[in-house]
Amino acid sequence: MSAVLTFHDVRMRFGDRCAVDGVSFEVNRGEVVGLLGPNGSGKSTTIAAAAGVLEPCSGSVRIAGRSRRDDPAAYALCVGLLPQECALYDELTAAENLMFFGKLYGLSGKELRRRTVRALARFGLGDRAGHRVGTLSCGLKQRVNLAVALLHDPPLLLLDEPTAALDAASRDRLFIDLGRLRDDGHAILLSTHHWDEAELGCDRVAILERGKLAAIGEPRQLRRRPSDRAILYGHLRARPPRFQVQSLRDRLGSSAEMEVTGRRLRLAATSSEALGRALAQVLSEGFALESYHTPPAAIERALDRAAHPSTAEAA
Amino acid sequence: MRPPLMSLIAALAAKDWRLFWADRRAALLTFAVPIVLASSFGLIFSRHTEARSATRLPIAIVVEDDGPFTQEVAVELLTSPRFEAVAMTREQAEGAIAERRPSVAIVLPRGFEKVKEWRPGSPGERPPVEIRHHPLASAERQWAEGALTEIVMRRLARDKLGDKADLAPPFHIEAAAATGANHAAFNAYTHSFSGMTLQYLLFWGMESGLLFLRERQRGAWTRLQAAPVPLAAILLGKALATAAIALLVVLATFGFGYLAFGVRIHGSHLGFALLALAASGLAAATGLLVAALGDTEARARAVSILVILGVSMLGGLWLPAFLLPGWLRDLALSLPTTWAMRGLDAATWQGRSLLGVLGNAAVVAAFAAVFLALAAARIKAVETRRRKGWV
Repeated sequence: MSAVLTFHDVRMRFGDRCAVDGVSFEVNRGEVVGLLGPNGSGKSTTIAAAAGVLEPCSGSVRIAGRSRRDDPAAYALCVGLLPQECALYDELTAAENLMFFGKLYGLSGKELRRRTVRALARFGLGDRAGHRVGTLSCGLKQRVNLAVALLHDPPLLLLDEPTAALDAASRDRLFIDLGRLRDDGHAILLSTHHWDEAELGCDRVAILERGKLAAIGEPRQLRRRPSDRAILYGHLRARPPRFQVQSLRDRLGSSAEMEVTGRRLRLAATSSEALGRALAQVLSEGFALESYHTPPAAIERALDRAAHPSTAEAA
Repeated sequence: MRPPLMSLIAALAAKDWRLFWADRRAALLTFAVPIVLASSFGLIFSRHTEARSATRLPIAIVVEDDGPFTQEVAVELLTSPRFEAVAMTREQAEGAIAERRPSVAIVLPRGFEKVKEWRPGSPGERPPVEIRHHPLASAERQWAEGALTEIVMRRLARDKLGDKADLAPPFHIEAAAATGANHAAFNAYTHSFSGMTLQYLLFWGMESGLLFLRERQRGAWTRLQAAPVPLAAILLGKALATAAIALLVVLATFGFGYLAFGVRIHGSHLGFALLALAASGLAAATGLLVAALGDTEARARAVSILVILGVSMLGGLWLPAFLLPGWLRDLALSLPTTWAMRGLDAATWQGRSLLGVLGNAAVVAAFAAVFLALAAARIKAVETRRRKGWV
């Protein structure tokens, strides 16, 4: 397999804080690699460095052997980026957004129109072409977002938490799309902090722990590692307000750890009993679950080490 | 395919143009507000100007001498077409002046009657005449003093030479408004439309800068940073769209002024067009400077409003600059608004040729270029720091 994206000993600092620390890995053609880790582990920074939005303070990021410094335009043409936030102009229609970003990548005239129509059709947006993006649902926005990232047919696709704002059906649809893109030969790097997503759609998973690469491999290899914590992944019916999440987190205290990203829920506790009690508390607070599952002995050991360094060290 | 720089700039400008028109009502207000402001200012000052031609000075007349000569002078003062005179006592006059109703009073005190004994070249004590006035009414005081002198001297001459003597001045006055050109084309609306349009261009520039500041906080900015687009293209695209809309504001405002109030370009049309282009460029550069220097939107807005109002006032955009003290007028030469306003005055009611306007347009364009360079340098520095994770 040929490497499309190569990270070599990449370091990235924000002031005194080291966000990415000596990370090296590759993403090959026709491969989906998932960056997995809790909040603050350096996933988004890694994606931004790969996109050329951030410049590493040391190490190198190369696409097809070429760094951004060598030829910024050629580098950028190889990347399709899906940032974490909606990277579209709400005031413009879906088609106008596609046409605008297409022009920035050198597309024009009939070719641009053809690709716009094709991209809209590919993501089931044909009937929404003339709708302003601001009026679309989160799922549809994300599809437009992805259509924009793919319009210029880049060999590398970078997706920063692409499922954060999606419901379960949209998420599944996104992973089907990603599978198709991988089969077309695209190299895909996506970030998530949900193991089930990594397992569902990634060929390899790179686990980041406080900016360092803790492990990388196929999901089935990584899941063989024993876990010393009980984990639950769920999908909420509605996105809860931030204050409600904070209040529940305060009430759970040290007995369980809760993360909510959009409508995605991750609940972790030291034992199955503690996890059951935490789940009961979550439900009693009015958080309605659309679906949930508890992964088998999984990758979570590395993630927990990141979240609870003192516990991990004691263990 | 590597996109050419010019097509990138055009695409970015077209995007901003579309974003501007996406909110039709806001877009229409962008054109309506300067028209309303200019019309209101024009209305206020044109009425003021028309009234000034037939204005009579409100004045109080206090007569404390019973002599016949004094009484005759008092009657002439009270009936003079130059005054809107009211007879008062000294106490009443003092109270009225404090409230500027009126601002000035002529007091003919006891002993004024002795004036009639005056002969040209005669020595001896001359009786006083008091002129009481509000501290801010020195111009009115001089007006009253001149008119009083004329009335008293005519009355004396009539007494000495008889009623049939020709007391008309040995000259006649031809008064005309000087516009600095062949046309006597001053129209209060012209100044208002020039000033308010310029002021609004700066506000539009500020608004565009704040939109850019907001855009840089959005996800679309991350995508722009990842795209094969140099920062210079982004800035030039933004400047081009802002300047194009600013130019449209100038056209709409002056078009309305022409149709509704007879605002005319009596000078060089080409000079006016160049000046409009330079002023539009200045608006765009001001916007980028706001985006470059503003940390947060709220802070940038507050500081920008203060600066724009200040440079508008000092540049003579509200009222003619000659009303300002001399040192402030000299200071105002360091502001682009002063040159833009001078240029518009020259091209419109002063009726100057292209050469008379070109200098002003060049200075405004130079200011725009400097602002643009400063903004670009600052934004580049900020973006580099952000890319390297230093902020």
